[in-house]
Amino acid sequence: MFYQPKTVEEALELKARLGTAARFLAGGTDLVVMMKKGRLTLEDVVDLSRLSELSGTRDEGETLYVGALCPHRTLESWPIQVLASAARQVGGPQIRNRGTVGGNVGTASPAGDVSVALLALDASVELISLRGTRMLPLREFFLGVGKTAIAVDELIAGFRFRRPSRSAFYKNGKRNSVAISVVCAGVSLDTDGYPAIALGSVASTPLRLLKTEAFLRERGLDPETALEAGRLASEEVRPITDHRASAEYRRAVAGVAVTRLLTQLMPGGAHVAHV
Amino acid sequence: MSPMSSSLPPRGSQANDDERLPLAFALNGEAVDTRVHPLDTLLEVLREKLRLTGTKGACHEGECGSCTVLVDGVPMNSCLILAPQVHGAEIVTVEGLADGETLSAVQKAFIDCGAVQCGYCTPGLLIAAKSFLETCPNPTPEEVRQGMEGNICRCTGYMKVIDAVVEAAKAMPNPKGGRHDRA
Repeated sequence: MFYQPKTVEEALELKARLGTAARFLAGGTDLVVMMKKGRLTLEDVVDLSRLSELSGTRDEGETLYVGALCPHRTLESWPIQVLASAARQVGGPQIRNRGTVGGNVGTASPAGDVSVALLALDASVELISLRGTRMLPLREFFLGVGKTAIAVDELIAGFRFRRPSRSAFYKNGKRNSVAISVVCAGVSLDTDGYPAIALGSVASTPLRLLKTEAFLRERGLDPETALEAGRLASEEVRPITDHRASAEYRRAVAGVAVTRLLTQLMPGGAHVAHV
Repeated sequence: MSPMSSSLPPRGSQANDDERLPLAFALNGEAVDTRVHPLDTLLEVLREKLRLTGTKGACHEGECGSCTVLVDGVPMNSCLILAPQVHGAEIVTVEGLADGETLSAVQKAFIDCGAVQCGYCTPGLLIAAKSFLETCPNPTPEEVRQGMEGNICRCTGYMKVIDAVVEAAKAMPNPKGGRHDRA
């Protein structure tokens, strides 16, 4: 059956009733492909395209909120660099007009660019159901390829994060456009200058580099520690070899990406030569 | 819940026309009132049900752009949209670009610049170009490359496509009046 609820409450009632046989459909840029290529058989589709209440973004002062149904296109012009840059590099314009932030996270691809950006902002995901609302740190949300901590009756409502002082994103793909990341990386600095670092396509989930972050917390950020952080990042990632790149290449790129982003974010860092 | 969700056949049943999902939308300015299977894509409905075969399908995963249509003025891959999702929307396909016998500026420029080889990607490129020029009315070749990155031409005839989009921009009326003149 094809359901098209007009309110969030109707959507939640439907999902609670239909259970695992039903999937929420947002932009469809992953789900429709899986259905049409025969990789997924669906009994029921709950189309979220009428729930405009979930598509907006909010400036909450110290925090920002992005609704799950916000298309990537909206974020492209945001002043939060890590998110805007990641959004600009998802698919082509047609995909960015259609695909949503909630879908990017819910799909739980290890290579999800916007997922990595949100992780680098230390975002929390807002999960809603008829039972109530819970905020879960995004780093606890991703459990494996396509696997998340969402309950069967829950819907991703949106994402909240503290406004960073600076942030940046890096993507390495096989070509400049419409490419799945071979490695992608996001870094944000909070108002105290402490970094959050996340990488994509280097593990079974988008990955926070907590050890590398701890090193920088202790030692502070300067050209030398940025270099050392890159070395630590290469060790902390857990990449595999696949048809896009070898594990060794990914480790190397992960290190370069982290050093480069940290260097870029240092005071006056824009002028520092590329590593 | 929308009335669309009532009286649907369970998946797997022999759906006859009466059981299919009602779907109404504007297509190239004309009202369409039809019935579809809930899991039909917009591309399938356009080509197979409404027989508008200008819009092409190729990769069916949002990589190539050949199925691009405008949904409420925004370019999207029609292969990734379930048809019931566009209930009430305004859809424009390549068939809707010309005004009667008069081709649009983008169509004319593609012909004048020889930007068509096998032609399979052309409908998607035309829609993408029309939309791109609305957001970037006076583009550089580099801006065309970036703005149209969602469309692939496997004849690799990109140079003439870029020429055509730049030429189309010059031929289009400037929103502020007069013609574009970029130094």
